[in-house]
Amino acid sequence: MTQALKAHSLRAVPVRAIVRALSDAAARWSDADFPPRVRATDAIAARTGYSIPVVEYALDRLFFSITEEALLATIQDELGGIDLLDDFSKASRPRGYARGFDRICLISSRTTIGVALVPAVFALCAKSDVLVKDREDGLIAAFFATLTDELEQFAVSASAQQWESAHTGAHDLSGFDLVVAFGKDATLDRIREQCSPHARFIGYGSRASAGYVAIDHLDDERRARAIGDGAARDLLLYDSEGCLSLHVLFIERGGKIGPLDFAALLSESAKRATIEFPLGARSPAGTAKTGSYRNLAAFRSTAGRGAVFSDAECSHVIALDPPLDEPPPFLPRVAPVIPVDTPADALAYLRRHSLALEGFALSDERADLISMAVDAGASRITTFGQLQNPPLASKHGGRPRIAEFIQWIDWDA
Amino acid sequence: MSYATQSRALDDELLSVIRAWHDHGTILSEAGFTDLATRSLAYQLRHNQPYARYCAGFGITAHALPESWEQIPAVPAAAYKEAVLATFDPAHAALHFQTSGTTQGIGGSHYMETAELYDAALLAGFDAFMLADGMRLSYLNLVPNPHDRPNSSLGYMMGRVSALRGDSQTGWYVRGEELLIEALVIDLRAACTDRRPVCIAGTAFALVDVLDYLALHDLQFELPSGSRIMETGGFKGRSRVVERGALYDALKRRLGVPDKAIVAEYGMTELTSQYYDMRPSTTDSSAGESIRVTSKVGPPWLRARVVDASGETVPRGTVGALVHVDLANRSSCIAIATEDLGYETDDGFVLLGREEGAALRGCSLDAEELVARSR
Repeated sequence: MTQALKAHSLRAVPVRAIVRALSDAAARWSDADFPPRVRATDAIAARTGYSIPVVEYALDRLFFSITEEALLATIQDELGGIDLLDDFSKASRPRGYARGFDRICLISSRTTIGVALVPAVFALCAKSDVLVKDREDGLIAAFFATLTDELEQFAVSASAQQWESAHTGAHDLSGFDLVVAFGKDATLDRIREQCSPHARFIGYGSRASAGYVAIDHLDDERRARAIGDGAARDLLLYDSEGCLSLHVLFIERGGKIGPLDFAALLSESAKRATIEFPLGARSPAGTAKTGSYRNLAAFRSTAGRGAVFSDAECSHVIALDPPLDEPPPFLPRVAPVIPVDTPADALAYLRRHSLALEGFALSDERADLISMAVDAGASRITTFGQLQNPPLASKHGGRPRIAEFIQWIDWDA
Repeated sequence: MSYATQSRALDDELLSVIRAWHDHGTILSEAGFTDLATRSLAYQLRHNQPYARYCAGFGITAHALPESWEQIPAVPAAAYKEAVLATFDPAHAALHFQTSGTTQGIGGSHYMETAELYDAALLAGFDAFMLADGMRLSYLNLVPNPHDRPNSSLGYMMGRVSALRGDSQTGWYVRGEELLIEALVIDLRAACTDRRPVCIAGTAFALVDVLDYLALHDLQFELPSGSRIMETGGFKGRSRVVERGALYDALKRRLGVPDKAIVAEYGMTELTSQYYDMRPSTTDSSAGESIRVTSKVGPPWLRARVVDASGETVPRGTVGALVHVDLANRSSCIAIATEDLGYETDDGFVLLGREEGAALRGCSLDAEELVARSR
């Protein structure tokens, strides 16, 4: 039966059936004992070097979020309806049909865990034929195999190929209407050049995330500790390699708990969080740079500038008050903590270093903090501890989840 | 004992170590190295306050000295950009070298109280590893001329070598950021005509530029017997990186020098002494399988160890960061921690360099890119 299927076979399947199949497959993958997931967990750990608990957390976060309810809500929010993915909808004026592109390619390079999965899911909701060029852990291919168990049309509409970072110039993208790519700027440029002139290209380049602890949360140790626990989780997960990892933390001066005390508290939180999320395998270069950063911070502290909190293994490094002319180091589990007087100081630092921001964790909803995060260009504002846990509908890179995968057709009837 | 007396005593002791090796091949024993290192450290703890404060953080003070040279706290090389690390008033420095500032765009300063130690150390090392045959050579230097850039340690080094070991036909081919390759080619032709052996000293990226020029103009030389090349400096901060084996093959082909005549020097502005390739390469089995390696070796007063994140020495064959203890750094800091990677071998260590694009993944996070954008 499957062999008789042709390209674009999802077109004939109602979107609600597609969504249900996606949700059911994700539910199977939410079980940590599901054999394909067990195999993928090991493969991801081998590829990334992350500890197994970190990989498990990532997969839980990924698959628990893909529910029928969340998918339908996101589609509804972005397109204004569900069924207009099936046919012209009388509910819209003029009559509209949200027709997905025929063929979409997703290219996932230098990414953490399953970054291409959510875009792939929404591209399938748009009834596109999807090819994912994925990393060597084979996560997407394994999930697609489960999808086919749920709905046979996925056998031809959802496919994945392994993509090696060394083969940066080897893509044949001429047949795709839309190409979504994750990677460094030069990689994105190369991929863009290989797209058909008529194709839409969506590139997700390098971005970082920041946090800001306002003075209101620094008068009470319990509240400060809660912020510290959340910030530690944001720092440690994925060994700071995600665009939603905490890369720099600002802390307002003048609270009962000063920057030095907060940095110490954050270090204690990081030690506790390391038990839940152990440090993965670092590269020798990462280890050397992290050790060097810690030692330099220690040197500065002996010269009277700032302080550093770490441990012998450098399982985390909290560097208080580094020189402002230094950008964040972007090292595994390393957080520069910068004391500031106002949000304007934080904004000045971010602008000085031209940091493209993805997420901004804020300790509260003070208007000037929100304004600062917006002005800094963050795509997402959230609370501490949630930085690396975006909801399914979250607009990654400030872009909608499905709206860019469809082409509207109006019928002025 | 006064500062001057202490300093002179240490310098004399070290100079005798250098001369003993230079003149007679006498090496410093493990115990002798630790003894001199520990006394040098005690001296620096008294006279170099930033370093003393840093060491105190490791529990090392003048009253609590380490038992082994491996326990001497290594100051990060980048600390030279943060503070004056000297045992004396830098206004009275005999030598002042500046780092290029590749890491953050800010240079650091290494001040030396006397030139005597620097000269003795560099000449002893160069004689042993580059001039074992004692040949007089024309030095063709693709490094800054010390008259133009007195703060370049590499320029100073080649200036001293050219003056003291050269045949007076020295050439300098760096002017500002420009490489004077046409002038070099003219001098290479003259050396070939005169059958005068040369030593070309240059950074890896300068040598690549020379090779590109020679290829573009279809030029090839058969340099006089005894000619050699000293490569140094790697590709830090340069966009075009050529694999070292390919670079050496091209040098052999274009310049007509044998493999053994190409030697890589490894030094740092923050050090006084230098390492060189051990030639010929040897078989190393420390990593479990026998492989041909070119180890870096240094003079007896310079030692390296390979460390993990905690600063502990890792087992032989394991990759880690390099820490150097250079006793000739008498007037600054004797122990320097680097981000350069390497592993220990039976003979010395293999330098792997600094992995610039270390495997930082991300949901599109590329740390180097983010940092580069911020500059």
